[in-house]
Order: sequence, then structure tokens, then C-alpha cells
Amino acid sequence: MTTEELNKLHIAKLVDARGTACPGPLLEAKKAIGSIKPGDIMEILSADEGTKVDVPKWCTKQGHEYLGTIDENGYFKIYMKKK
Amino acid sequence: MEPKKLCLALYTGSVDKLTAAGVILGGAAADDMKVDIYVLLQGARAFRKDIGDNSDKLPMAENADLREGFLQSLKNLKVKTWVEFFKEAKAITDVKIHICGLAGKVWGGEKLDDFIDLADDICGISAYITSAQEADVNLFI
Repeated sequence: MTTEELNKLHIAKLVDARGTACPGPLLEAKKAIGSIKPGDIMEILSADEGTKVDVPKWCTKQGHEYLGTIDENGYFKIYMKKK
Repeated sequence: MEPKKLCLALYTGSVDKLTAAGVILGGAAADDMKVDIYVLLQGARAFRKDIGDNSDKLPMAENADLREGFLQSLKNLKVKTWVEFFKEAKAITDVKIHICGLAGKVWGGEKLDDFIDLADDICGISAYITSAQEADVNLFI
């Protein structure tokens, strides 16, 4: 998805994991995913470079849909849809 | 679908390698893996109740001369202690921690109660071999 499309998504759950290092953001996402419904979108904020790689791989393994990442100033916004 | 299984032989009792094991456990927990940890020789010392995540009592496996900087950096990055990593993984997925009976005795622990409450049981080496044979991923740290 384009940055413009990602910015227009309706976010069901925002996970701000910018204060944690790997594997913190992934585990915060893992804990939060249980609180949303299938088809809902989750946005993960992370300042950890590795999260950009971890979340897409995790989505593939878990069956969720990785939608894309926006590179902000000093952190990333990562979007995924729950299966 | 049956969860993938990770079998970890945890020989180390050093703060740097225990922290690495904790990070790996976090990844396994995110993937809903079933995890069996077998705590061997040096590892059992770290599981003693008077040690646990008291980093002052844990050695470094490598770069001992950089110890203070390493620990300070972990603190600055808000990295969990190894015990906190292990606890978090246990809360998320099926993690069982088995203390090797011999290792326990080496460090003066004969009963489960002699170790921090992360430990689930005391076992023999056959349990480790069986778990390793069944695992999808085997690690020795």
C-alpha cells in the first residue's frame, strides 16, 4: 500500500512500542493482537530498525496481512491486518 | 496445527548469554512456539534463589572488561533482565524449564524449591535427549 493509503486506514489498535528494544515491539504486538477482531487493522510504532523486518515475517508465519511501513522521523509506523 | 517446538540447552550462567537467550525466547513466544529449556551446569547457578537476575553475581561470558558499559547500555535501552524475559515468555507461550539434577547438586540445590520460581522441575538427561529429538529447533547456549 502507498503511504497515502496507509495514512487513511482505520486503526483499531495502536501499539506504541517506541520505548522498547527488540524483541519488545514484536511482543507488544503479539500481546495486543488478541484484543482486536479478525479484519481489524493494528498500527505499531517502533524506533527499533529490526521491527521493520520482524513484523512482516511474523505476519507471514501467523497468517496476518502485513500492509506496509511508513518511515517517520526517528521511528516507524507499521501496519498489519489481523487474520 | 501443532506448534513448532524449540529445545534449548542452557549451559551458560553468564549475564550476556542469558540475556541473549531471553531475546530468543521472546521471538519464540511471539511465534507461539512450545519451548523446553534444559538448564545445565553453569546455568543452574543462575537459577539459584540467591542469584537470579542479580547481575552483580553473574559473570560475563565475553568481554568481561566491558561489563559495566554493557550492563549500563542494557539499562539505557530499557532491555529486560534475563529473568524478566523468561517470565514474559512463560506468560505468552508454553515454556517449561527443567533443571538438570546433576547441575542443581553442583550448586547446592537438590529440590525445586532451591531455585527461582521460573523452574518447573528437576530432570535427568534422558528428558533432554527426548525433547531434543522431538524439537523443530535445537539451540545450545
